[in-house]
Amino acid sequence: MTQGSISNRIRTLRFMNGEMSQAELGQRIGLTRQTIAAIEAGKYSPSLEAAFRIAQVFKVPLGEVFQWDANATSSKDGS
Amino acid sequence: MSYRERIAWLSLSAMVLAYGSYFSLVARDPGPWEPWPHQHPLGLFALATIVRVLILGGGHLYLRFGFPLEERPPLDERDRTIEHRAINAAYYVLMAGTIVVGCFMPFNSGGWAIFNAAIFWIVAAEIVHYGVVVASYRGQTAS
Repeated sequence: MTQGSISNRIRTLRFMNGEMSQAELGQRIGLTRQTIAAIEAGKYSPSLEAAFRIAQVFKVPLGEVFQWDANATSSKDGS
Repeated sequence: MSYRERIAWLSLSAMVLAYGSYFSLVARDPGPWEPWPHQHPLGLFALATIVRVLILGGGHLYLRFGFPLEERPPLDERDRTIEHRAINAAYYVLMAGTIVVGCFMPFNSGGWAIFNAAIFWIVAAEIVHYGVVVASYRGQTAS
């Protein structure tokens, strides 16, 4: 168990961009639908490059897609 | 369940079924066997390998026809991360096996015992490899 966790607003941003599907988002940044689902659920932390690509698709800064909560407890494995 | 997770399950099952049967048969008939190249364990090992290849071949064909091309995308960064983690875990198993088989067994065992122990550690490393892949996909599946 480590302190701090990453949360994201990908589900909300997909909704705000015409209910973009996970598959479509994945296709646009070169990831599979399963990987997008895992990122959205907070079970996989993407590479910095993939994170920037996601932000670029939604035309928002990186900080609007991913947030760091230093006080939260993360149980995610180190991926 | 994704295509890659099914492939990992298939590989794990083929390994356990084929070589699990091999080691259970070998354990029932511990020898003594004639020295190399006596056919008994070699024949069993060849049979187990053929069974594994058949299970893998049949499974791959079934999955290939069961999944359309768009459901079989190329590896992405998460797939590669999982694969690296699995190879890393299997490496330590293989190292432990190498030490046991190469450094200890020559002084208190011989012949077929060393042969079977070497096969056992290779199979164990492969099982750990596919096991970690399956566990990683399971653990990262969105609920």
